[in-house]
Amino acid sequence: MLYRETGQFKTSYANDMVIFPIRQDRIGVYLLLGFAFIVLPLMMAFHVAPFRTDYFLLAILLPFLILSLAAIGVNILVGYCGQISLGSGAFMAIGAYMAYKFGTGISEIGLPPMPIVIAILLGGLSAAFFGVLFGLPSLRIKGLYLAVATLAAQFFFDWVFLRVKWFTNYAPSGSVSAPELKFFGYLIATPVEKYMVALSFLTLFALVAKNLVRGNIGRQWMAIRDMDIAAELMGIRPLVAKLSAFAVSSFIIGIAGALWAFLRLGTWEPLAFDINRSLELLFMVIIGGLGSILGSFLGAAFILMLPIFLTVLPAELGVPITTETVSHLQNVIFGAMICFILIKEPLGFARLWQIGKEKLRMWPFPY
Amino acid sequence: MSATAAINSADTRAVTNEVLLAVENVTLRFGGVTAINGVSFDIRKGEIRAIIGPNGAGKTSMLNCINGFYHPQEGRITYKGETRQRMRPHVAASQGIARTFQNVALFNGMTTLDNIMTGRTLKMSANIFWQMLRLGPALADEIKHREYCEEIIDFLEIEAIRKTPVGRLPYGLQKRVELARALAMQPDLLLLDEPMAGMNLEEKQDMCRFIIDVNKTFGTTIALIEHDMGVVMDLSDRVVVLEYGRKIADGTPDEVKSDQKVIDAYLGVSH
Ligand SMILES: Nc1ncnc2c1ncn2[C@@H]1O[C@H](COP(=O)(O)OP(=O)(O)O)[C@@H](O)[C@H]1O
Ligand SMILES: [Mg+2]
Repeated sequence: MLYRETGQFKTSYANDMVIFPIRQDRIGVYLLLGFAFIVLPLMMAFHVAPFRTDYFLLAILLPFLILSLAAIGVNILVGYCGQISLGSGAFMAIGAYMAYKFGTGISEIGLPPMPIVIAILLGGLSAAFFGVLFGLPSLRIKGLYLAVATLAAQFFFDWVFLRVKWFTNYAPSGSVSAPELKFFGYLIATPVEKYMVALSFLTLFALVAKNLVRGNIGRQWMAIRDMDIAAELMGIRPLVAKLSAFAVSSFIIGIAGALWAFLRLGTWEPLAFDINRSLELLFMVIIGGLGSILGSFLGAAFILMLPIFLTVLPAELGVPITTETVSHLQNVIFGAMICFILIKEPLGFARLWQIGKEKLRMWPFPY
Repeated sequence: MSATAAINSADTRAVTNEVLLAVENVTLRFGGVTAINGVSFDIRKGEIRAIIGPNGAGKTSMLNCINGFYHPQEGRITYKGETRQRMRPHVAASQGIARTFQNVALFNGMTTLDNIMTGRTLKMSANIFWQMLRLGPALADEIKHREYCEEIIDFLEIEAIRKTPVGRLPYGLQKRVELARALAMQPDLLLLDEPMAGMNLEEKQDMCRFIIDVNKTFGTTIALIEHDMGVVMDLSDRVVVLEYGRKIADGTPDEVKSDQKVIDAYLGVSH
């Protein structure tokens, strides 16, 4: 009976429209933010339990933050606007390479190296630009055909970043390294600092995304997704709704790409953003919950945790399995889960979470 | 104009002789099928105009021409004094034409409230950057239009389901939410395509009451497709009858009811 809205009356529409209308949820989120911004960094600084080595931080937590951000971007396009995309990896790549170009300066047009935050944002804007460009076919085609068009974007950019040397500043090896990570004059070097940067970007853009999807433009996206004809007859213009979804989605994915390259990888090759990344992101939003910001986090967590779980659990049980088996097993489980979720609970983990909460509100009297 | 103000001020109906919409010689073909064949009629400001006829007569197609979803091959449509060969959907919407659909066409993944709020889309002005922050003009928009939508929710008595995803609602309520969504557009002309189809008697009575109330309190002009002759006779000021894409009668309910061609069409006399 701890989790109830009883006695919490809304006295204005503004009050009724906040993200977490139930007080317990609100407190929970503040606690979570406090934990993420204060407690975890302290634990990292003092190398408490899971942070005795940097492994947990660098291999799980940091990827979780950045891929959650990317998943939010994918969810805006696929989950909220209903436009299927297999090109997310390409938009991450555009964000990464363009942030790199802006961060190291573009001498051809006399552009000096940009401060890193601006470079990352410009990387996102470049991704948004190409997102809109490759979103144009969505005005004519839907579903599978659109998926193929976005797949074309994926392969096109894979090729571009591999072959067009300008993007890699003519590095002979084809791989590039992030410029010096100076955020507002402060040099980012330790894993804890990287964590804080990623967490700040994620928090900021998760809030922006949440604001968009519960506002006017978000309702237009969902209207186009659910019943495009009715939406059009109500004055919603498919062109504006779809292309804005492509723009916002690729912007966020592009930022995530830049963060992935700069913070997670440091040095990278085009392979880091190939079709597998696109599929992984799509799995995240399907499993986590289409049309749910929370679902993007849940999906990212699940997909990152599963392989670790599959490695650790059998080892604990004394059944050693090879990494190869783990990755096969992983594919089988992803496949099975996606089939199951698409058939049984198309709204994914986020919906299960919601059902759980509804049950909890009733608890202990289910009727 | 807020809804309550309208409810308090206007209690009498204001049917005028002013023509709001005129359809002239409209012909619409789909390949070999002629769905509408040289039909002309008009809708006067403030009236409830019924369009009746057997299945496949071209009634839905006519509404689709009026709000620009279909483009007739011939004929002209004059709305608010402006004549066009063809309407465009978002132009029709922004000039105050709203509609409901024969098969409910709600946004199933959204709540009742969000469905109704989409009806306010064209009236919201805050740009996407304010919306990202949900502050200033964006927040003001949300609150102002939420208030308007709440008045419609009160009006149609759907308070209890405002936060329910519409996909989970029973059919009768879905039809009502669809009406609410159309009303949120503050339309001058409301096109209702079989709003009572598939409803039980009680739901039909409610819906009739709402249609009359909308017409009276908001002064909305209504074009209504309906099969239940009792309803049509009670609600409408004038009736146009279509059969096989042609107009076979046009007049007051009494005139139409006693028209031999209409009787034949409805009793299925051989032609
Ligand atoms: N999109 C379409 N494509 C082909 N034929 C259509 C289409 N829409 C309507 N029709 C045809 O036009 C005729 C009139 O249909 P409709 O307007 O739906 O009739 P009503 O609403 O009076 O039952 C029917 O013969 C129907 O098959
Ligand atoms: Mg019809």
